Amino acid sequence: MRIPTIQLVCLAGIAFGALASFRAAGQEHGEDGQSEADAHATEAVVIEEGPHMRPPIGVDMTITAGDWLRAPSAEWFAEQADADPDRYSFDASLGDGEGGWVDSQDVFRYRYDEEEEIGAYWQWVTASQLTRGRRNYLQYCSSCHGIEGDGYGRSGQWLRPSPRNFKSGYFKFTKVTAPLPSDAALHSLIKRGLDGTPMLPWALGDRQLDDVIQYLKYLSPEGEAWRDWFTEIGEPVDPGKDPWIGEEKFAVERGKRLYHGDANCASCHPGYVKVEDLPELLGKKDPTSRDDYYLPVLKESNYTVLDQPVKILPPDFTFHTVRSGSTPRDLFQTIAAGIKGTAMPQWKGALEDKDIWALAYYVEDLIKKYKDDNAARTEFFTELKPQK
Amino acid sequence: MRRLFHHLAGAGTRLWSTAFGVAALAALAEAQGGKRWGPTEAASDYGYRFYDLFWLITILCSVSFAIVCILILIPALRDRARPGHKAKFDHGASLKDKRVTTVVSASVFLVLDAWVLVIAMTDLREAWWNIPDEEEPGVYQVEVLAQQWAWSFRHQGADGEFGTADDIIQINELTVPTDTSVSFQMTSKDVIHSLFLPEMRTKRDANPGAINEMWFKAIRSGEFTILCAELCGFAHYQMHGKLHVLEGDQFESWHEDASRLGIAAFDTEDEEAQWAWKWE
Amino acid sequence: MSGDHIHAEPTNFFRKHVFSVDHKVIAKQFLWFGLIWLGIGGLMAMIIRWQLANPGDPVPVIGSFLFPATDGVVDPATYNTLFTMHGTIMIFLGLTPLLIGCVGNWAIPLMIGARDMIFPTLNMLSFWSVFLGGAVGLYSLFVPMGASEAGWTGYPTLSTTVNGLGSGETLWAIAVFLIGASSIMGGINYLTTIIRLRAPGMSWGRLPLTIWGIFFTSILNVLFIPVIGSAMLLLIMDRVFGTTFYVPTSVMQGAGGGDPILYQHLFWIFGHPEVYILILPAWGIIGDLLSFFARKPAFGYRIQIAAMFAVTVMSAVVYGHHMFTTGISAMLGESFMLLTMIISVPAEILFFNWLHTLWKGNIRFTTPMLFSIGVIFVFGLGGLTGIYLATIGTDIFLHDTYFVVGHFHLTMAASALFAAFAGIYFWFPKMFGRMMNETLGKAHFWLTVIPLTTVFCLMFVMGYAGMPRRYYDHTSSEYLAALQHMNTAATHAAFILGAAQLIFVFNFLKSRWFGRPATDNPWEVGTLDWATPTPVPHYNFKVIPTVHTGPHEFSHPALGEDRDWISMTEPLPGAESDGPDLGGGAVPTPAS
Repeated sequence: MRIPTIQLVCLAGIAFGALASFRAAGQEHGEDGQSEADAHATEAVVIEEGPHMRPPIGVDMTITAGDWLRAPSAEWFAEQADADPDRYSFDASLGDGEGGWVDSQDVFRYRYDEEEEIGAYWQWVTASQLTRGRRNYLQYCSSCHGIEGDGYGRSGQWLRPSPRNFKSGYFKFTKVTAPLPSDAALHSLIKRGLDGTPMLPWALGDRQLDDVIQYLKYLSPEGEAWRDWFTEIGEPVDPGKDPWIGEEKFAVERGKRLYHGDANCASCHPGYVKVEDLPELLGKKDPTSRDDYYLPVLKESNYTVLDQPVKILPPDFTFHTVRSGSTPRDLFQTIAAGIKGTAMPQWKGALEDKDIWALAYYVEDLIKKYKDDNAARTEFFTELKPQK
Repeated sequence: MRRLFHHLAGAGTRLWSTAFGVAALAALAEAQGGKRWGPTEAASDYGYRFYDLFWLITILCSVSFAIVCILILIPALRDRARPGHKAKFDHGASLKDKRVTTVVSASVFLVLDAWVLVIAMTDLREAWWNIPDEEEPGVYQVEVLAQQWAWSFRHQGADGEFGTADDIIQINELTVPTDTSVSFQMTSKDVIHSLFLPEMRTKRDANPGAINEMWFKAIRSGEFTILCAELCGFAHYQMHGKLHVLEGDQFESWHEDASRLGIAAFDTEDEEAQWAWKWE
Repeated sequence: MSGDHIHAEPTNFFRKHVFSVDHKVIAKQFLWFGLIWLGIGGLMAMIIRWQLANPGDPVPVIGSFLFPATDGVVDPATYNTLFTMHGTIMIFLGLTPLLIGCVGNWAIPLMIGARDMIFPTLNMLSFWSVFLGGAVGLYSLFVPMGASEAGWTGYPTLSTTVNGLGSGETLWAIAVFLIGASSIMGGINYLTTIIRLRAPGMSWGRLPLTIWGIFFTSILNVLFIPVIGSAMLLLIMDRVFGTTFYVPTSVMQGAGGGDPILYQHLFWIFGHPEVYILILPAWGIIGDLLSFFARKPAFGYRIQIAAMFAVTVMSAVVYGHHMFTTGISAMLGESFMLLTMIISVPAEILFFNWLHTLWKGNIRFTTPMLFSIGVIFVFGLGGLTGIYLATIGTDIFLHDTYFVVGHFHLTMAASALFAAFAGIYFWFPKMFGRMMNETLGKAHFWLTVIPLTTVFCLMFVMGYAGMPRRYYDHTSSEYLAALQHMNTAATHAAFILGAAQLIFVFNFLKSRWFGRPATDNPWEVGTLDWATPTPVPHYNFKVIPTVHTGPHEFSHPALGEDRDWISMTEPLPGAESDGPDLGGGAVPTPAS
């Protein structure tokens, strides 16, 4: 077959161009032909064997039997009955004469344990709801929280804070003063997420979220958390009305005094005043007793990863992101309820509400002024610290 | 021929008025504020290369496509089947036709492809694939660990080593200095992710079990965007973060503060939390 | 030659309409199958567009029926399933059955002058495997944890059990495997039939371009479907048997040692030829249709074939352009860039020839012609935007953004689909003995091409603005929230596009049973398939025809004033030898 000359010339040109560029490419990249842009497989990030790395084989996706899980107390039912009187009614004959609430839909039931002589409200969660919850959990939560809910998810490795172990019965940022959070508290926690962490505000529908929450409660160990007759379940702390409206400046000032004084926040969190000013500010002797007043102190916690206790650094409000929200309302709730399992105590009752609000205002003020403004923070700390 | 011109003029008027109308609508939309039609301004030193190459290709392609459209329109208007009209019988198999086809194709290749190819290869060698040598002073190194569904960035502390107490770890945020080459080594804990920095005009996959490299140099300070650009699960769209670029002295003080807090947060007994690798 | 061989006419219902070995019945089975799946995939696209424009809002009308667990809202996991299945369905269960299963089956024996495919039983099996594949895919939508969510590309480790715990992903891989098996069977059948069963006088140089297109597609099918078959097999083994072909050591305890990039190589060594598998029949079909309706020979017939051949040969060596950002070496990257640029040249040649076919023709603007010209238009847009993606300097930014989505939709969803529509409108009269309504056809065309161009050109703008693809909700990040107005505009146009397809559905169904009866050759075309009576008898040709003329001898000067076409069985008036033979092969001798 005859090929016209001009076609030959063009083909030759293309071939030449290709060869030339290959050659040039080879020359750029050294003897072994590897360029710096090469990916190279690495053993540098090889992990030791451990529960994070379990191959997910034979994962059970169905739960065959329903279960009893603890429900909140009579007060909670009283509130529910106000809102939904058709569903809940009070039966004075229940519970050894004390009376108890009856749920016409039979989801909640008052049960009495003869041996322990204690009555408590329980919720019957059906097998199909638990199955839905398990499947949604596997879909949305298991990569960090683990297939078994023990916090050992592959993607949760090395994370600090480490993903919650749902078999421990502890939740940190629930904003409830009782040991366990109510469904509503968990719901708003998950919906909102934790700022500055990989726990994002996941886009689950309300019913999906409800199913997942029942499943999380289902993971409670035997006799503990939601399987415990004796435990209390609470709603998020109600901040009430903001008592400092119109007087925010005074709130900040009061908060500053409390922070560095009576509440002694600066024993864990950084201090934000000059050390010399402390006696005058608080009307008492210098309360500091640590090396660097301007750094937070690493604290022990109840949480473990691979049997190793995890220590937690209290946030520096001018630098770190506050997990559970940085509006005064959010801060009130966190300060009042404390953070379970950590060194952050529960201040509700120990301080008056108005004082907790003041602390919230002070912290919010710090965040607003310094957190996203490096120049301002540097200036602030330069002024505070002793000159070298 | 006159009829053809007539048609074209009519079409031309329609074309121009449409173009004008579109432009007017676009301006109106723009005036409504908060709406963007393109990327934000480039913030890296090689960012302009993307823009230049993109618009070169656009001009070349627009011209080619316009020619194609005209070559559709003319027969569509002129050669409609009608009584008494006949098609021109031509197999296009003559030597002349073959020559013309070859010349046209070669020219199209040279203009559309070869020109662009040469520019692209230069750009790659000088910019995107020109990852700074680790021995070079002044290169700022960051280790990136991607996971479902967050980015972890690790900086060396003052000691210049990864995996020590003074390292800085940021989640979904990255702070880097201006006018400094920032070099990344990236991998993933679980599935493939891709670190996309739109204003810096660069992107590279983070593969599990391997380390990829990427670099950029920011030419101005500000707040920029980090996005994930490889499907990694249901929350792929939520894997975004903020890239803070700070001026030199600001960055120094940030780095110092962060490093000190890093030391404060470091627990030697907590081995499980140490994920850095030696810079390769 | 097998000219007289014919299977006996089936008598019972099942052998006649269900488990038929008659290529014409199988073609119609592929047609219905493809159209139904196109509809399902299209519905998924509408839901995807709804979610993008109205993030978090319940889908109207059908939402609470389809997604009861979330009160009609598409949740992120379901969204991922939607775009995964949309892609898989459109490519494997929509376009492939239509362009290759239906057109190939219908056109090949009739156009080459054979009574049926050379392997009729294999032909039947190829339909039922794709049917089974589709059934498996459909079933996967209803398993616990839902269907595949890892994109139609199914990259590990996302598609391994590292992420997807249910059986949906495994079923997806099985479905793709089965569909692939169907394509291999079809490919073998088509190639052998075209090589062996051409009627006397039907030399290679007289084959209609449709047949050439399907011939090259079949070569690619036979060569590269096994590659994705192997990729799927390894994936299934990783998921079901705990092997670690794609799972690296640092992700799983125990062996590991695998590489997710291995999958990408395997997938794209198939995946790039796959897009040529879809477009080659389209190029062939419009190569013919442009000639038929411009009443002019296909310009540069031999060069068009050479171009298609060049694309076929080069299709596997350009696949790395899908992997520019994965960390491949600079040398590999640049080589793929160069090769990808080179492979655009044959496509440019084809454009030149198509436009030249139109030039100075006598153009009949029937619906098939409108769609054929439409292919030139949308493939121009789609193909040219490929240059941005072939060029690494721009691809680094544009990879995995909406730019890519716009590009492949214009080349596949527009070009290949338009060619499928053109083919359906064209062959409908012969298949069903009735004409489709021209006015509705034209309305379908215009109401499709304008919104389609709008939607996907908007995507180029979105991609240029940096909007990544496969995102459930663009308003989640500030940078992208400013682009949301484009999502809304694209959704509006997409809804118009979707609604316009109902015109086609209505036209198709109505014409199938109530259309105007068609003459034997309403388009006045000379190819052998139009030389049959309507409806085509099960043996196709009473006597195997002898071919004397090429397929594109329109407006030949020797034909005189009263006609502008000639049947391939008729020699050109005044010709001493058999008409132009533009091929190099020997003319087969008539069967004795």
